[in-house]
Amino acid sequence: MSTLESNSPISNANKAIESNMIKEQIIHQLKQMSQVLIGLVAIYSTFWILAPDFRNIDTFLTILTQASVLGILACGTTIVLISGGLDLSVGSIFAVVGVVVGISLSIYELPVWLAVIIGLFTGGVCGFINGFIQVSTGVPAFIVTLGGLTAYKGVAEILANGKDLSQFPESFHVFGSGYVTPTLIMFACALLVGIFLRKTRTGSHAYAIGGNEEIARLSGVNVTKSRIIYYMIGGLMAAIAAIIQVSRLDFAQSSRGVSYELFAIAAVVIGGTSLFGGRGGVSRTIIGILIMQTIIVGLAYLGVGTSFQRIAIGVIIVLAVWLDVFKGKSK
Amino acid sequence: MNATQMSNDKVVFEAVGICKNYGGVKALDNVDLNLMSGEVLALVGDNGAGKSTLVKAITGAISKDEGSIYFDGKEAVINEPADAKHFGIETVYQDLALVNELNVTRNIFLGREILVKGLLGKWFGFLDYKKMHREVVELFDKLNISIHDLHREASDFSGGQRQAVALSKTVQFGKRVAILDEPTAALGVKESHNAMQLVKSLKEHGLSVIMVTHNMQHVLQYCDRVMVMRLGKKVAEKSVSDIDGDQLVGLITGATNTHSA
Repeated sequence: MSTLESNSPISNANKAIESNMIKEQIIHQLKQMSQVLIGLVAIYSTFWILAPDFRNIDTFLTILTQASVLGILACGTTIVLISGGLDLSVGSIFAVVGVVVGISLSIYELPVWLAVIIGLFTGGVCGFINGFIQVSTGVPAFIVTLGGLTAYKGVAEILANGKDLSQFPESFHVFGSGYVTPTLIMFACALLVGIFLRKTRTGSHAYAIGGNEEIARLSGVNVTKSRIIYYMIGGLMAAIAAIIQVSRLDFAQSSRGVSYELFAIAAVVIGGTSLFGGRGGVSRTIIGILIMQTIIVGLAYLGVGTSFQRIAIGVIIVLAVWLDVFKGKSK
Repeated sequence: MNATQMSNDKVVFEAVGICKNYGGVKALDNVDLNLMSGEVLALVGDNGAGKSTLVKAITGAISKDEGSIYFDGKEAVINEPADAKHFGIETVYQDLALVNELNVTRNIFLGREILVKGLLGKWFGFLDYKKMHREVVELFDKLNISIHDLHREASDFSGGQRQAVALSKTVQFGKRVAILDEPTAALGVKESHNAMQLVKSLKEHGLSVIMVTHNMQHVLQYCDRVMVMRLGKKVAEKSVSDIDGDQLVGLITGATNTHSA
């Protein structure tokens, strides 16, 4: 019976349509990714040609490693932006988590695993506060997270009490040491966020909420709960990024993470995620952060100063948003 | 004795004394509505008559100030759109039908996604996209909707195709009642005809339908009864067989002042 059913014309037609659809979806995804991927290859090739010192594997690994902290931060920002939100506070959450982990390890001498869990929990709670205030008061995300930016920075300063925290246990350095671990953690975070966005119900709702929140609500989507979850993931990603950097530098300070939120947003937008919500993906964000880091490292190899590097990144951000606006109009 | 009392055993949905105020403006003033099993009820009125507000108030999209809703004769608490869906009421709101950024399958299943069996679905909410896709193919086949590229974003589709997708949601999920707010608005003649064929098929699939429309021809051709609203009030309720186009326009504009409810 089942053999007959599985070989029936309708079943075969369904299978053919499904198979076709999956192929078309993959091609669609690759097409979207290919635009930024071609951009990355073009920029990388340009520096390869112009700067002889750029042509070695160490430079490539340096780009990957330096991109990892902001890349992880940007994974969380991707979800928030796709859902039509904005989080300006992730840089300050980064600072709070760094100080909390630093205090846990150097003052309270807690085990590494416990300090890491406390750090992740702190990031999640900060994200929860952002999301909860926003959905319960209706105050725009820009204002709530702008408040968070200064408030969390204040919390980090109070907790640090003017001290720089360092000399953490050797076992803690495993998270940030070398080229491989931070890069792998970044790709693992991107993979998890990608699966969340594409394969799960709450994750896929980010696209609907960002596309049209009212339709999502009328369709029965729990917008309030979903938004809080997205901000919590944003906080959690900031916490992971902070743990890697504190581990790498063996140093925690309340002034860390300044402007990180802007670099994270820049990476997401350069990757092609819409600043207006509803469209985007985390794989493109990773390419976006690699584009930014390649430009910074490449210009440094060409002897271009930090100020000019910032101008170059600024120009690319404006171009990326202009492209987003242009795409929106053509739709 | 009114129409409701005469065929009480057939009333599937009833709204009584619905009121909605915006500041000092009475958008809905003590409006009653009843829907018989298996009928298509047209809800007509001029712009600002309160049709869309009534639809939103009875489906939980906006909160009502006063009034009660009954489903199968029992009081139904509908405060959120999800509550209406729980009773098998599916609504297609004007201009709020599809998310442009989502593809057809995700639009149809938005808010009611099918999850994979087992722990992945139960604990982590993993989607069974293949099953959803298969059901959309079958649904479109059943309704003769010829959209094959289901992975494309809704923004890529024509007005007629978008309305077809939106209406197909009511067949998929509307177990008892479909409420359609201007299903042919902004559609061409051919697309309107196709949309109305779909409305007709809703009735054939056992649904009772409330349809907000400005098109008198559609009222007379496809509906069983018509309810007329003016300035937030119900001013008439007639069987379509008892009224002609001129009388209907007269009721809408106020030139004729008949109340048979």
